Amino acid sequence: MDLAIRDLKLHKGRFLATIIGVGLLFTIVLTMNGLYRGNVYEGTALIAHTGPDLWVVERDRGGPFNEQSSMPEFFHYSLAAVPGVEQASPFIYYPVEREIMGETRRFSIVGYDVFSGLGGPRQLTQGRPIKHAHYEMVAHEKLGVKLGDRVPLGLHTFTVVGLTREAVASDGEALVYLSLEDAQEFLFQRDNQEVRNQRERQRRSLTGGGMTPQEAEKLLPRLQPDTHTINAILVKLAPGADPARVAQHIRDWLYFSVFTTQEEIDLVVRGKLARMTAQLGFFRILLMVVAVVIISLVIYTFTMEKIRSIAVMKLIGAPNWVIARMILEESLLMTVSSFGFGLLVIYNIADLFPRKILIMAPDTMATFAVALAGGILASVLGIWQVLKTEPALALGGH
Amino acid sequence: MAVLEITGLTKVFGSGRLEVRALDGVSLAVHAGELAALMGPSGSGKTTLLLCVSLILEPTAGAVVFDGDTIYQEGKTLADVRRLRREKIGFVFQSANLIPFLTGRENVLFPLNLVGLNGGEAERRVQELLDYMEISERAHSLPALLSGGEQQRVAIARALANRPKLILADEPTASLDTVRGKKVMEMLKKIARENQTAVITVTHDARMIEGFDTVYHLKDGKLDNI
Repeated sequence: MDLAIRDLKLHKGRFLATIIGVGLLFTIVLTMNGLYRGNVYEGTALIAHTGPDLWVVERDRGGPFNEQSSMPEFFHYSLAAVPGVEQASPFIYYPVEREIMGETRRFSIVGYDVFSGLGGPRQLTQGRPIKHAHYEMVAHEKLGVKLGDRVPLGLHTFTVVGLTREAVASDGEALVYLSLEDAQEFLFQRDNQEVRNQRERQRRSLTGGGMTPQEAEKLLPRLQPDTHTINAILVKLAPGADPARVAQHIRDWLYFSVFTTQEEIDLVVRGKLARMTAQLGFFRILLMVVAVVIISLVIYTFTMEKIRSIAVMKLIGAPNWVIARMILEESLLMTVSSFGFGLLVIYNIADLFPRKILIMAPDTMATFAVALAGGILASVLGIWQVLKTEPALALGGH
Repeated sequence: MAVLEITGLTKVFGSGRLEVRALDGVSLAVHAGELAALMGPSGSGKTTLLLCVSLILEPTAGAVVFDGDTIYQEGKTLADVRRLRREKIGFVFQSANLIPFLTGRENVLFPLNLVGLNGGEAERRVQELLDYMEISERAHSLPALLSGGEQQRVAIARALANRPKLILADEPTASLDTVRGKKVMEMLKKIARENQTAVITVTHDARMIEGFDTVYHLKDGKLDNI
């Protein structure tokens, strides 16, 4: 006769309510796990998906994701000439906030050489890659645009030719891929009024410094801001090339900082993402402790409510293991059912969260193991109470 | 041979100025088929005596011989005592004390399972007991859905499950009205006579012990038998 099942059958309302309550708590714990992993995943997704052999950035900078990096575009020609480099491709990454389809949206611009192939999206869910040097864009599905939509950005209007969902910006927002030239123009080109104002300021500065207006007029075009700026250069190594040696060569002779993709990921994880990851990690541990404490309390209360029945069982000669098994079974049933419910809920609502909830099997297993340990610990407390219970209690004795 | 023989049973709680002598040299013997009643005012030591006889509370002095076996002596483990209780003693309580999450039938089946009796044989024994206690029709209900009298009949059936040598009944009529109380007492008498089971009943109510073989009176831990 299975005492645990019979007890739970009698208290099925409370049992179900407990499963739902504790299960939802597990949903929160699993959400935190997913958010924790999702934070790292989203923060490094673009780096991992772009995945060049080397990232070359401004000297002594941890850019372009962990901090700003700015370098002249033409250096990619120098890099292409470094021994061991098969391909070097300019790359722009820049977070912006603009109005898209009548709504203010945050997103990040990725500008890349659409003809060399490095730095663009690898997989599209719809449409095609950018094929022309101007006025085409590939957007992440999160941006909410459709194929063929025409999106005004800066001074021009772009046509959505492809949609992707493989990577997002480090803040979880959508990515918009543009050709390098379009990205440079969008990010660095001032609007006409600002250009006129700038030119006027420089003219006054030059004439104030002793130049004639004619001399200043001749010099002015040379002083216009250069939009041929990039944030990084992506390097693909020649087969058999030693990444460390190539990186060292670039550091020594071109005075840039160089990172492998893994080093770039580590930079972001240890830098930009570190605080949030630690925060989420701490919160995750705290929630886990709360869940275990609540499960323990519920199970302990369930046991204590049966203490008189337990005394009767002991009085009529039930061995301790019969009662201990009942407590342990109830505890395990409650823990497993609650966890199962929590898992079911999170799998069904994970996509509704605005940020990536990345549910990973090892995390889920570890959470389950901790929950199970908590359940067993609670039942041990209950069993200890059982062992202490005097059969005399059934007779109204001491 | 007596099923239960108690000699010079003494139980002292506390020590020095706080010492309480709950039982003081109590001796009695109950034989198979005998109906014995244990009466006395509150604090007279009835519960302490019942606990000692139930093999729950070890006396300070004296001997308890149960079915030829001396209890509370060196070499007897808790498991031995528990097995004795499981196999040879049936308990009937003041309130039925049925296990609330088991149906009436399962409450009777439980002690049978504890001694390793399962399946058809156990089911037959349960049915036999439920028929005997005239409670078969209600036995599939949970205790909460049974009346006080019905619960007590199930409790008696449970006490009889393993064909015990001794039934200990702790005020079995206390929570019942007079008519139902008398009925329960009649059943205990019937059990004692038909099964040759020794029955010791603790009661306050003198009206309930009509027809009992022996009536013991406890006062301040000392015994008089009438």
